[in-house]
Amino acid sequence: MQREQILPGVYLTSLPADKFKRSRISINFIMPGKRSTATSYALLPMVMERGYEACPDMTQLSIKLAQLYGASLGVDSGMQGPNRVLNFSMVGIKDDFAFGGEALSKEYADILFGVAFHPDVKNGAFDSEAIEIEKDKLREVLESEINEKRIYCVRQARRKFFGDDESGIERYGYLDDIDPITPQQLYQAYLNMVQTAAVEVLVMGADAQSVKTLLVQQLQKIDRCLLQPAQPHAMPVTAPQSCVEPLPTEQGKVCMLFTTAEILKNEDLSKMRMAIGVLGGTPTSRLFTNVREKQSLCYYCASSYSHINGMLSIDSGVEHKNAEKLQQAVLAELDKLKTEEITQKEIEDVKRTLYNSLDAVEDNLPSIENWYMGEIMRGSFKTPQQVKQEIAMVSEGDIRAMLDKFTLQVTYTLTNTKGGAAHA
Amino acid sequence: MPNAALENVKSATWHSKIVLANGLTVIVCEMPQYKGVHAIYGTNYGSVVRRFNLNGTDYTLPAGVAHFLEHKMFENEDGQDAFALYAKTGANANAYTSFDKTCYIFSATDNIDESLDILLSFVSKPYFTKETVEKEQGIIGQEIKMYDDSAEWRMMFAMFDCLYHTCPVKDDIAGSVESIAEITPQLLYACCDAFYCPQNMVLSVAGNITVQQVLDAVQRAEIPAKESAVKRYVEEEPAEIHKPHIELTMAVSQPIFGLGFKETPMPNDIRTEIICDMLTELLVGDTTPLYRKLYDEGLINPGFSGEYLSGEGYLNFIFAGETKDPAQVEKLLRAEITRLKTQGVDEEMFTCIKNMMLGDFVTNLESIDDVAGDLAAAHFKGRTTYDEIAALCDITVQDLNNALKTMLNPERSATVIIKPKA
Repeated sequence: MQREQILPGVYLTSLPADKFKRSRISINFIMPGKRSTATSYALLPMVMERGYEACPDMTQLSIKLAQLYGASLGVDSGMQGPNRVLNFSMVGIKDDFAFGGEALSKEYADILFGVAFHPDVKNGAFDSEAIEIEKDKLREVLESEINEKRIYCVRQARRKFFGDDESGIERYGYLDDIDPITPQQLYQAYLNMVQTAAVEVLVMGADAQSVKTLLVQQLQKIDRCLLQPAQPHAMPVTAPQSCVEPLPTEQGKVCMLFTTAEILKNEDLSKMRMAIGVLGGTPTSRLFTNVREKQSLCYYCASSYSHINGMLSIDSGVEHKNAEKLQQAVLAELDKLKTEEITQKEIEDVKRTLYNSLDAVEDNLPSIENWYMGEIMRGSFKTPQQVKQEIAMVSEGDIRAMLDKFTLQVTYTLTNTKGGAAHA
Repeated sequence: MPNAALENVKSATWHSKIVLANGLTVIVCEMPQYKGVHAIYGTNYGSVVRRFNLNGTDYTLPAGVAHFLEHKMFENEDGQDAFALYAKTGANANAYTSFDKTCYIFSATDNIDESLDILLSFVSKPYFTKETVEKEQGIIGQEIKMYDDSAEWRMMFAMFDCLYHTCPVKDDIAGSVESIAEITPQLLYACCDAFYCPQNMVLSVAGNITVQQVLDAVQRAEIPAKESAVKRYVEEEPAEIHKPHIELTMAVSQPIFGLGFKETPMPNDIRTEIICDMLTELLVGDTTPLYRKLYDEGLINPGFSGEYLSGEGYLNFIFAGETKDPAQVEKLLRAEITRLKTQGVDEEMFTCIKNMMLGDFVTNLESIDDVAGDLAAAHFKGRTTYDEIAALCDITVQDLNNALKTMLNPERSATVIIKPKA
């Protein structure tokens, strides 16, 4: 990993990717999330992905990408803790595999920088017709969240968990805020992004020097005034909430969210990885072996930890009548881990699983990007090998100390209308 | 086509393939620049195999046996499951069942020999009891219910129900809560005897490993040859569709519409599969005028797509996605199919889609998971991944226009609408 500062708040990170058949360039704009601009920043990528100044037509752009052997352009928007991150990425096969002998890499960079820095804007506004079409699509995205029941349950639980906190700002914005967005306002949102956001560029398998030159050229044309990204924070402990929502489904869903009340120090993250592994992150974990296999309560009962939010999430699909039983089973397993012995075998099993996952990071382009972007957001800059060394040192006491930090805040249950979960 | 690129592809798809004395096919792609290894131990047996004869005895299976077997294989006689064994090596293990195959997989960066030993051991030594079968019925029951809430899944099987009278592809891969209740240990053992025999299986491995390492592991496993005489029955399926239309209701935000076409099965025909794949892109891919019209008029979202499915006894297309106006989408889609059949495929669009598919093939050569998976899948179809790329290079516009003369026949089509539950 080679990382250098290009301009204030602008960094370029070059990651080794010689063995891959594709190259990837990714430009991330990072800025503090705001409720008032959430919907604009959800809509902006949808509009920008349609085309850019040199190729404004959506279908022509799709054809251009297909001709480049199915190169993939992505413009995405998401929340990372309290920050909004807009990601512009381009991935495609390397020149060595161009069946027509084309210079693909140059085309990829031209398209990516064209989309990110030369959008299709006329008279200080995006195209109004394109905006109206994409507003409809965004409305559909927001309205269709009930289609995927598992994701819907987790999102509903998160809404209760975060309340009005910035970290809970919706990735896709808010239905009521869609209509008022004008083409001019959306362009202002774009300008605000390129002028104030911290910029992280990741280059994998492409010529980093050429990318750097292009980046400097583009940013020098912009009157930048960097706004520092917001510091992540965890939600404080409050009275636990238990919510039941009726939804006509074949299977019930349960999501339980816990807070650590403080953001872990980077040096504790490896201990937390171990704790999550023992609890529910592996097929030998307590949740898998006891809740799924021994009690046959569910097909999945997964746990994950968000360091940037200090949040543990456990979610499961369960027969409606067993929702309450599942919650009790999960809490019992967590309690046993806090109070009873965690065997050396369990600990070593999880360590081996984590070593394997860490070593595998470098075998896959998306996982390399995810890893290093995560490290950049944490300001940690560790390699998977360094984290392996930390994991080797984690003890039973460390795991218990991590699990002790969790306090249940929200239990959200989706159940059919005929009854089911009976708790308040 | 020039062909430094093709040579590079040839080099990237190079692998060793050895058929052992016991009948097992071993495929190894050495990728020393990678840290990990991905291994697949698969059998050419999936959910559509529902009737067979084993050593003179006929068996009829309830829906979901292949998938049920996949779950149960992880349990060993000593009560320890395979996941517990893999925990000692750190490998990330899993399995999956499709319509035409069942595969047991692991990915690992360390203790590779030990993980291969586990893989080859537990899949070769089945152990089932009445109690363990009953326990699994609860877990799989929950898996089935999870899929019952997936609109995409329900769309697919409702469409197959429209298109097929008897072909087992119309039944959920995992079966139903009722069908898996009929499964017994005896039935599972019979399926193992019939389909988990070396000559019906492949071990496909890609990554930081040598051919010799894999062969040594197979030797250590001492997998005996099985002399079972197996005959698979393929159900008689009329050319006509079963039902023209199905409507369902689910907890979804807006209707989901699907248009399907029943085609004449061409199992394992590489050119047919490529042509079908290209036709889906040429009709509703995001490079097409139809996609743009439907998108701009608010009739579809980016999730609308076309797919084909090909196997023993079935070949079909499904075009499906969310829409607020199923009738209008159906009208425009059928009109575009008629136009394509009448006017033929545009040469420029053809080249564009061909390029895109070539890129997809190259993309799949960069991950050990895809390489091992594609090699195994190609083997079961009697070819290699390089054969697939070479066949794509050879396809012409004329091939597509010829196919359009018989494919996508409106008389063999059906529609499915999933409506929001009030």
